[in-house]
Amino acid sequence: MRRLNKDVVGAVAVLVLLAMAPLVVRSDYFSGILTVSVIYAIWAASWDFMSGLTGRENFGHALFIGAGAYTAAFLNSKLDLSPWWGLPAGALVAVAFSLVVGFPTLRLRGPYFALAMLAAATIMQRLTRIFWQYTGGEEGIPGLDPLFESHLATYYFCLAALVLASVLLLFLARSSWGTILRAIRGDEAACQAAGINVTFYKIAALMISAAVAGAGGALYADYQEAVTPDVFAVSLSITLIIMVYVGGMGTIWGPVGGAILLAMLPELLRGLGEYRLWVYSVVLIFILFYSPGGLVAPLWRWLTRPSS
Amino acid sequence: MTALLDVAGVTKRFGGLVAVKDVSFALEAGEITGILGPNGAGKTTLFNLLTGFMATDRGIVRFEGRALADLPPHRIVNLGLARTFQLCRPFRGMSVLENASVGCLAPRVRHEGSVTARAQRILEQVGLADKAATLVDVLPYGDLRRLEIARALATRPKLLLLDEPFAGLGSNEIGPLSALIRKLHAEEGLTILIIEHKLREFMQLVRRVIAMDFGEVIAIGPPQEIVRHPRVVEAYIGRTEAPLGLA
Repeated sequence: MRRLNKDVVGAVAVLVLLAMAPLVVRSDYFSGILTVSVIYAIWAASWDFMSGLTGRENFGHALFIGAGAYTAAFLNSKLDLSPWWGLPAGALVAVAFSLVVGFPTLRLRGPYFALAMLAAATIMQRLTRIFWQYTGGEEGIPGLDPLFESHLATYYFCLAALVLASVLLLFLARSSWGTILRAIRGDEAACQAAGINVTFYKIAALMISAAVAGAGGALYADYQEAVTPDVFAVSLSITLIIMVYVGGMGTIWGPVGGAILLAMLPELLRGLGEYRLWVYSVVLIFILFYSPGGLVAPLWRWLTRPSS
Repeated sequence: MTALLDVAGVTKRFGGLVAVKDVSFALEAGEITGILGPNGAGKTTLFNLLTGFMATDRGIVRFEGRALADLPPHRIVNLGLARTFQLCRPFRGMSVLENASVGCLAPRVRHEGSVTARAQRILEQVGLADKAATLVDVLPYGDLRRLEIARALATRPKLLLLDEPFAGLGSNEIGPLSALIRKLHAEEGLTILIIEHKLREFMQLVRRVIAMDFGEVIAIGPPQEIVRHPRVVEAYIGRTEAPLGLA
């Protein structure tokens, strides 16, 4: 019980910090960085729900992000719908994509799911370039309506979305669903021997993961007021996986912290000038090498360990 | 009365190798039966066929009169036919209690009240209650064997298949585990089918033995007859007149 209390206090403290930050440092540039960090955190948490819990790595989470982002952009620019429609529609389209990839590949063991996700995201990125008449090609679709006029309002809305997504995913991860998903990571055959329909749970987890990522993708398009093929990029998928690793896989809240930390880090290191990417990479390598369980979650557990 | 489990002419080939060949037997409810055979006799393959982990090439398996053909493993478990694995397969990174909880979440038993309370009760049954909070990654081997049984028991099976439950246990652990299996049979009325390849304890535990060699059933009968059966003797020590020290 005390463990849980400390966690809640920690979460509230981080939330207050994030809420205060743009009021302390008043610049559009800084609030923009914060907004993107928070959106990354939503994506990382959604990756972790499926892949962190079940251990089935997803190398193409950008597929869901891109699907959500382009759906929002299409609805707003071609059909002239309010940008608010993009959030549920983006989530729905991402879920449809998750079924197309997940249904045939999640029944199988082996790397098929991970590779199919990677391939699907890459194919979608290609398609946005091939059908440039509709997607705007490399330029993407600019001039989208923002959700809010003020950048600050957009940021707070994204922060609220992060809280909502984290609470939802954490609740599921700590319910009997989470127990089953973690058991799948432990041993699929043993899970079947316990009477669990492993395929059903994997596909359902992927659908939930896709819905959150898709809504996050729509949010990103609305914030940027534009969408480009980069939302399908392999580099985005890989960046998310690194964020989850640094955060601490399978904890949901760890990846949220990892994402915010890593998204802010290049900015915090700005004082180092050209060396910052170099330092960033070295920091990453050290974290992955010396703390394979991640940084954020193990550090927090160490800080809040019961004093004896 | 139909048998609880009815196996008729079950065959499984791996390329040119016939791992299980035309195996037939029936189990009545409440029986405690053993499958005996040297390594490679096809015992585990037979278990995999009975539990849906492998598809049969020929033959029919009926559980309570219902054909199991093409049912996936989890469906078969939810009909009341649970198994353990020869090599322990715990859910790593989870506690002993959580491991048992997974079985309690099978659709068959899911709505029977608090999962934690039921899992705790199962752990008491198998003698792991005091280790409920322990991470399975640090659990000693003997306890992992009990946890295998706990996970299967959690699905409240009618028929429990135990794949070499004594494998790798020290002599001081075999007695208590044997007593646990006996208790489950006597108190819960569980029908049990156990695989072993040799063991005095095992022969005292079961009432009936199905002896296998090279994928075939070579003899069925009470343990004391099986150990003197010429084909069983031959399978174990080749063609010889030497007495078999199994019973």
